[in-house]
Amino acid sequence: MKRLALWPRSLAGQMALLVAIALFVAQAINFGLLLRERRQLRFEQITSPAVTRMADAVERTRSRPDFAFDRGPVRLEPHNPIAPRMQPAPDVEDALRETLTEAGVALPRIEAAVHVIDGRNVRIETIRPRHTARIIRRVGAELLIAVEVPGRGWLVQHAPWPRGGDASIIWRLIGQTLILYAIVLIPVLWVGRRISRPLRSLASAARDFTPGNGETPLDERGPGDVRDVIAAFNALRLRVNAMLDEKDRMLGAIGHDLRTPLAALRVRIESVEDDADRQKMAETIAEMNRTLDDILSLARLGRPSEPPTEVDLTALVDAVVEDFRDLGDDVAFAESDRLTMRLRPSLMRRAVRNLIENAIKYGGGAEVRIDRDAAEVRIVVADRGPGIPEDRLADVFDPFTRLETSRNRETGGIGLGLALARAIVREAGGDIRLANRNGSGLDAVIALPVRG
Amino acid sequence: MPIEPDMAETPHLLLVDDERSIREPLAKFLEKQGFRITQAGDADAARTRLAAYAIDLVILDIMMPGEDGLSLTRHIRETTDIPVILLTARSEETDRIVGLEMGADDYVVKPFSPRELAARVKVILRRAATGTRQHAPESGSYGFAGWVLKTGERVLVDKHGVSVPLSTGEYNLLLALAQRPRQVLTRDQLLDLTQGREAAAFDRAIDNQVSRLRRKIEADPKNPEIIKTVWGGGYTLSAEVTRL
Repeated sequence: MKRLALWPRSLAGQMALLVAIALFVAQAINFGLLLRERRQLRFEQITSPAVTRMADAVERTRSRPDFAFDRGPVRLEPHNPIAPRMQPAPDVEDALRETLTEAGVALPRIEAAVHVIDGRNVRIETIRPRHTARIIRRVGAELLIAVEVPGRGWLVQHAPWPRGGDASIIWRLIGQTLILYAIVLIPVLWVGRRISRPLRSLASAARDFTPGNGETPLDERGPGDVRDVIAAFNALRLRVNAMLDEKDRMLGAIGHDLRTPLAALRVRIESVEDDADRQKMAETIAEMNRTLDDILSLARLGRPSEPPTEVDLTALVDAVVEDFRDLGDDVAFAESDRLTMRLRPSLMRRAVRNLIENAIKYGGGAEVRIDRDAAEVRIVVADRGPGIPEDRLADVFDPFTRLETSRNRETGGIGLGLALARAIVREAGGDIRLANRNGSGLDAVIALPVRG
Repeated sequence: MPIEPDMAETPHLLLVDDERSIREPLAKFLEKQGFRITQAGDADAARTRLAAYAIDLVILDIMMPGEDGLSLTRHIRETTDIPVILLTARSEETDRIVGLEMGADDYVVKPFSPRELAARVKVILRRAATGTRQHAPESGSYGFAGWVLKTGERVLVDKHGVSVPLSTGEYNLLLALAQRPRQVLTRDQLLDLTQGREAAAFDRAIDNQVSRLRRKIEADPKNPEIIKTVWGGGYTLSAEVTRL
């Protein structure tokens, strides 16, 4: 479902908007009813008598053509007093027409309008000074009905008319609604925030939850339901930490229990006479130990003990390469400028080391360089091996798969080291990409985002 | 590897490990290397043997049931001057640092090469004999010329707080120089001081490592101000070094 642009996302916002809409609709219905009632009342009290009087007067012009119309509410005037700027009242005209039609009178020209009196209406004052003043004070407007008497002029009637038309009703609706908003929405917003603020901090605590860094439990704030949720989250966090502690203890025990026999074996192989045999055995034990290290590191990565610090990434890669060169491996590093990034140095060293180890194992050597653009920093480890079939590129990250077709079992798993490297890099916000280089080797790339 | 002629007497080592599967073959191997070995299966036995024999060096497992290796290290350091080498598992990284701070001379990580262990034993015995031995080589930090070499974490930090990772060889060399400021160290001495810590970096030329270090820490590597070459002698760290 597409979100409406103005639809607020927050709880308080949605509550406020819904209440505001509901209030507005209720107000509109109320005022609609009020308007109808007003119109009906006006019709009964003003329009209907005025129309009746006028109809009588029209009939009188026929029955007594000499009637002077110099008394009473309907007068005979030579001109039509309705000016174009006055607001026409078609409903009154229609009502009069209907009445005249019912009485069987041929329809003359009829006009009706509401005239807002601004207090300087001299003409009315001269006619009925006292009465008019009262009308003006009370209602502030008059209804003018004019019916043409052919050849004699116009029959004119002034009737009091309540000031303010339908437009003022709209303004009153808006004003009243605003007052209601002020009274209702402020508490609604307050309650909404009371609920949503603890929920927001709960959300951010859940999002930023890093196991095991002994944070203080979240404050239980807000209404009871929200407090319950926060309490449940705090308990969950404790349970997760306890489970992870348990896992770490178990891993420590496993590591110890596996290293002890490995160490014993490593000592015992010194009694093997054949140098080449002994060397092979030592390498196998070292390989097993590295795999054990990788397994333990991978399992512990969820809660790294090392804090991120500002690190010269170039020096880091250079140091790893140098360690390989010290061991006599064919690894080259293209000199680059100093490049400072925020990361966990020991883990990143491990990731770079694992990639280079793979490159040496499967590609005979590695050329390492650092590329950088506006968006990311790339540590490229290029080997000269056979590469990886395109359709298997994604598989090699699976910790316990190995490409049996092209990779020698004796040389150990590519998967675990790569999986660990990727886990480390992802934890730092980046990713590892593998790409074949036109049949001349594999590029393993650690891409790290550049933070603005 | 035969024992060097200047060590006339057979060095007497105390090997403390609760794991017989490691202790016994290791004892056999070290005896073949020309050491006299006394074994102990726990801390109590070790204390008894220490009192009974003139032990030259103790090889000590950190993880032992009962009193552990760290506590025994503290006891040895408080009562005697006997060098200690710790056997640790990698997962006990903090233990290792604590152990070195308590005055252990060195450590090897399980599974270790017995030959390497024997080589380190010899290095430490020679240092003890020549008086160049130092306790707690890895604790604390060294500050010089705006740089801080943090030994616990093994990083070099510049004056803006940016860590500059060092290779194992570079780290060992810089540590050796920083521990002996304004002393002229010959290439042989530097080789001797930098080996025996971790297996890497024995045969790379010291000169090469020095020039790499200079590129990292000198303002102008061509005219070095911190690590100076002494003609006909070797190298010296010519900056003021403060222990932090």
